[in-house]
Amino acid sequence: MIIDLSDAALELGRLARRALDEAGGDRLVQIAEQEPDRRESLVAPVLAELGAWELDPRGSGDELEAAAALCRSAGWWSVAYPVAERLCRPVDLGAAGTVVVADVRPAGPLAGLGGRWAAVTLGGRRSLATPRPPAAAPRTSAFVVELDLQPIDDGGADSPGRAAGDAALGLVLPCWTLLGMLDRAIDLTRAYVVERHQFGQPLASFQGVQFQLTDAEVERSGVEELAKYALWSIEAGRDDALDDALALRLAAVEAAEVVFRVAHQLHGAVGFCDETALSWLSRFSQPLRRLPLGPSATLDQLTSRIGRHGLSGLFDAATA
Amino acid sequence: MDYDMGEAAAALRDELRRLVRENVPPDFLGAFTDDPADLAVAQKFCHLLAEQGLLCLAWPEEYGGRGVSQWEQTVVREEMWAHHEPRGAQYMGVNWVGPAIMRHGTDEQRRTHLPPIARGDVIWCQGFSEPDAGSDLASLQTAARRDGDGWRISGQKIWTSYATMAQWCFLLARTSRGEKKQHGITVFLVPMSDPAIEVRPIASMLGPHHLNEVFIDDLWVTEADVLGPVDEGWKVVQEVLAFERVGIARYARCERLLRLAPAVLGDRWEGLPAELRGRWARMLTHCRRARLLAYRVVALQGRGQVRPADAAAYRIAVTRLDQESAEVLAEIVSLAALTGDDAQRFARAVEDHRRYSVSATVASGSIEMQRILLARALLAAS
Repeated sequence: MIIDLSDAALELGRLARRALDEAGGDRLVQIAEQEPDRRESLVAPVLAELGAWELDPRGSGDELEAAAALCRSAGWWSVAYPVAERLCRPVDLGAAGTVVVADVRPAGPLAGLGGRWAAVTLGGRRSLATPRPPAAAPRTSAFVVELDLQPIDDGGADSPGRAAGDAALGLVLPCWTLLGMLDRAIDLTRAYVVERHQFGQPLASFQGVQFQLTDAEVERSGVEELAKYALWSIEAGRDDALDDALALRLAAVEAAEVVFRVAHQLHGAVGFCDETALSWLSRFSQPLRRLPLGPSATLDQLTSRIGRHGLSGLFDAATA
Repeated sequence: MDYDMGEAAAALRDELRRLVRENVPPDFLGAFTDDPADLAVAQKFCHLLAEQGLLCLAWPEEYGGRGVSQWEQTVVREEMWAHHEPRGAQYMGVNWVGPAIMRHGTDEQRRTHLPPIARGDVIWCQGFSEPDAGSDLASLQTAARRDGDGWRISGQKIWTSYATMAQWCFLLARTSRGEKKQHGITVFLVPMSDPAIEVRPIASMLGPHHLNEVFIDDLWVTEADVLGPVDEGWKVVQEVLAFERVGIARYARCERLLRLAPAVLGDRWEGLPAELRGRWARMLTHCRRARLLAYRVVALQGRGQVRPADAAAYRIAVTRLDQESAEVLAEIVSLAALTGDDAQRFARAVEDHRRYSVSATVASGSIEMQRILLARALLAAS
């Protein structure tokens, strides 16, 4: 059993977090919102310096793990750039990246980004995706736009493994970005309750505060373990990698609900204010939590896919 | 990464499942029922495991174990709990009383106590909680005072599982009062057959044998019955609790019952409300989540590391899983008209799981204590 990312992947994640910090850190998303045309130039070159865009997550387990670590670091700074989606680019379409889309109202966080993009549904149908012009400012849209799709193939009847693999990878890497956001939300909240005093003592000294924080942390740490497992499932080429990806996504979006609710509650009013990183993190977590499917629709998909055989684990119907 | 436990662990899992299949009746729901035959099944099964060297797998070879990896130990925990703990109360002796005696015991104590545990011949109970010392264990009042070359112990213990059937008790008593309440506690290894000890069962929804009161009235023990240094029993207890950091693999029984449900219901499964099948799918995800959180603790232990926050996070997740999965399973059973032996057996197992799960967030360290531990670790990291 090896349940940690490789040392090289972890080191790349650390380097990326530091490089993004030096490039602006929390300011990156703020500048991107104020000057949407700069969103790519703020982030992409920094990660290019680290060789991010040469990574081939489909090529080897090491590169997949490195991609996951990069996504987590991008999430920490909520960089407002589709790092995970770019890392999921298809091998055969010459596209800049892949977004997983729902069957209805396909959308992705691609506002203002040029280039050719690919889209894939959970059923494996692939399309070329053209982002529509933004209907709202980034402040409320978080750069999400609807996509016009031009179908390429029909769900992978000719290559079911490839189709499921595209969807699994396209679900899992954004969950690593969301995990980075959860890491940060917990970290910010922990620092705040230690620093903020009320009734003559730090908020952290109140058990009512402590217990909210611990419940959020349990949710976050559960996502961390499921994220590694789902990554391994892709790495190992398992048949149920898409089920594992959906299980991760379900846990991640449900955890995000808890973590951000607690983070906002414990920050109090200042957490709504743009002077706090939480305000930005919370808003820019929305695309990851809603697309391609929110918690209820994700649960529907998972329930439908696993039917009566369930998720793989210690038992199957024969051994239970 | 690699989530495969390896060939040795897989072979052990197969072997344990075969032994359970061949030696534990399908109706078995644990050793502690009103039917003495269930206890007999467990005792026989323990002896069988001991004969095959499977009872104390994790122990060093010099004490009759095989010194196997932490992953094989994990397999044992999972398989035994999933199958309603056919070792009965033996896990306590095997999992932490034995290791505590190995580490802190005298040669004589090792000779006296370890072989019977390794053979599956003896049941231990844990004399920890008292009426006024539950989560705040260090406030315990049971007192041991020196008398000649021995000690006289008086006091009361409560919630003591298996005290009616145990031959020995791992007893905590106060031997002095230091500046801190953690100081001045000593561990005694005492025979439950002594007439100075009276056990009174407490009727409960958990079933017989789970909860008892133990009254100790002027129990005489010798220096040879003291485990570890006098007054430093708290350190021994902390180590003991570290052995139990992962504790019961509750997720394994939850997963087994959840996986059984569609097979038992047959065509009626699709007739369940979609929302209930969704909750079932969520519970399977939470089973995996709890299992992976346990594996994180196990992996760290394997590297000689202890992170209390990880163990606490796992325990919070797994005890909540126990209760939430019980609710889902109980609703599945209540909606499906179950007939036939397999279905009735499943319904009884779910009922047992639901009843027992009520104690999950209280027993062996309440969920509040786990939250306090986790909060302490989180806030210390700031």
